[in-house]
Amino acid sequence: MTPSVFLQSGDLLPEALNISFKLVPAIMVVGMLTLFLAIGYVFKVADTEGMWVAGRSIGNIENGMAIGANWMSAASYLGLAGLVALSGFYGLAFIIGWTAGYFVLLIFLAAQMRRFGKYTAPDFVGDRFNSDTARAIGALTTILIGFVYSVGQARGMGLVGLYVFGTDYVTMVIVMMAITVGYLTISGMMGATKNMAVQYVILIIAFLTAVYVVGFTGGYSTVLPHIEYGQLIGELSTEFSEPFVNAGFYLWIATAFSLIFGTCGLPHVLVRFYTVENEKTARQSTVWGLFFILLLYWSAPALAAFGVDLYDASQYGPTFAANGGMSGGEGDLIVVLAAQLSNLPTWFVGLVAAGGIAAAIATTAGLFITASSAVSHDIYTNIINPDATQRQQVFVGRATIVALGIIVTVTAFDPPALVGELVALAFSLAAIVLFPMFFLGLWWENTNRQGALAGMSVGLALWVAAVVNDLIFHFSDLFAEFVPAIGAALVGTPLVFVVTIAVSMATDEPPERIKKMVRQCHSPEPMGQQQSAEDVVMSADGGQSPADD
Amino acid sequence: MSRESTESEIDSHDASTDRSTTPRHDEIDYLSREVNLLKPSTPFMRDHLKVIWTGFIAWALLTFGPPVLTYFAPATMTARLPVIGFPMHYFLVAVLSPTSSLVLAFIYSRKRDQLDERYGIDHTASQTRSTSESEAAVADGGRVE
Repeated sequence: MTPSVFLQSGDLLPEALNISFKLVPAIMVVGMLTLFLAIGYVFKVADTEGMWVAGRSIGNIENGMAIGANWMSAASYLGLAGLVALSGFYGLAFIIGWTAGYFVLLIFLAAQMRRFGKYTAPDFVGDRFNSDTARAIGALTTILIGFVYSVGQARGMGLVGLYVFGTDYVTMVIVMMAITVGYLTISGMMGATKNMAVQYVILIIAFLTAVYVVGFTGGYSTVLPHIEYGQLIGELSTEFSEPFVNAGFYLWIATAFSLIFGTCGLPHVLVRFYTVENEKTARQSTVWGLFFILLLYWSAPALAAFGVDLYDASQYGPTFAANGGMSGGEGDLIVVLAAQLSNLPTWFVGLVAAGGIAAAIATTAGLFITASSAVSHDIYTNIINPDATQRQQVFVGRATIVALGIIVTVTAFDPPALVGELVALAFSLAAIVLFPMFFLGLWWENTNRQGALAGMSVGLALWVAAVVNDLIFHFSDLFAEFVPAIGAALVGTPLVFVVTIAVSMATDEPPERIKKMVRQCHSPEPMGQQQSAEDVVMSADGGQSPADD
Repeated sequence: MSRESTESEIDSHDASTDRSTTPRHDEIDYLSREVNLLKPSTPFMRDHLKVIWTGFIAWALLTFGPPVLTYFAPATMTARLPVIGFPMHYFLVAVLSPTSSLVLAFIYSRKRDQLDERYGIDHTASQTRSTSESEAAVADGGRVE
């Protein structure tokens, strides 16, 4: 296997996949998407309040499922098993990285964020540091994250689309992205959230069914494939389980670190805490969300192991051949391939494929909503046109979705890495730029505007340098060694912490009003559903609203 | 400095041994107490941070312990486990670590609820009150138990 983090995009096409038009799977996909659109239509909303946070009225289990659906993108559904299949033990760094972060998010940020009570990540940064520049950097970061993350989804959708509809990869990317954008422009987040519980259920059923059926028909497992695949691992070639052969120890830890703290800074995850009634629900839905996520994460390595064994036995194997072996495209499709190579009926493989498409659409929906509110709410309304009407805001939001859709589609024609790796880049950005702002902003009241601006700028520059070095123009081996784009947060996050703290200490303390908002986030007193920390602070001041807003 | 003395007076109550009256949290003006992760300024935050740090340390060991041990003692760590057949490092990282995060999250959530109870905080009550107060709440039926 290639030891480098990024596989060549040349090995994109999945040779082993049965590429042709298949009627029953096609009907399943179309039916599923129609169902999404119908639900979206029923909950169609026109006002901006409804569009962004679903009126903050969603219960903990439903919100947990929405967290799960948001999370279980093509990266989890397809990419994770692909990484485990192609990179062996290194792939497990992604399993740790994409689950363990929820605990850190829960203990340090979830309830405090909910109490702060702002719509989006840029809103938080802008209000906490009382700076439109901070808001703009936050919005820019949100858009970048949405973009990188969505390219991964588009690649996943395009590849799975090949199994169902045939044609070619580029056509499939265009068709799938058009569907996602069309759906999103029609319904707002109210519909999207309702859909997300539905989408979660569909895709977890599809995935678990795949694991059980493939495990059973292959004779690998019976009642608990999540544990039973252990026997198989000893029999597979050593590349599959030997530690630190495909990637070294440093890269392993750096990747896990980036993904964990990226989880805590990811805007489309945080926005989920604004859709719940109070901080207690925010906490409970985080626990539920992690459980719903784990249902898939316990299963993915099992399916990867089955897939690798089936691939070894097929005419295309072995997986870890010196020449050829499993290609990047095949790795990303290992979930579908495992079902196909088990000689299961077409409709069944189609169900698994449909789940992959649902996963990609659900996440892309959440990302596009977040990016669109970053543009219409944080950049357009707060900075460019403060007098914007609701109509104008909604229009700008929708235009953003369409524009972003087009850019993502074009980039996904020739993606520079695997689905899981592309998505991991977004995590390292979130871990470097946003997580330190959230953490320090909520846990140290003296963090000030200058500190935040310095920290975010340094972080953004470091991430861009790492991505350029790894993917676009290679300028330094040493830099690539210690600041790999995928694990840049291991160096970047502590650096941003140090810069932010140092600059904050060297400059004036933030105003009393801001400090009080931070204190309100930590007060144990319950807050109303529609209240933000700012409201409480202002009413405590006897209604004297400060004029600095 | 009158405020300072009041603060320490209020806080000193929780140093006393009587547990039921321990957190005199009604008397604390939370908006005037500094927030600093390393210097908790209220009894509530001190208690809360105890729970948080305990959980965080346990989490860090369970999450990063297995790969670090595997790096330093590869032979021991890759031994195959009896019955389930996994190489140990693989089992620890793929199954045990993620599951431990879920268990810790659940425990934290319970502990925090207990803390709320000790301080007499009731989110449900505030919910009903604020919903009736805020006109035309857009609630669509999502309710907390």
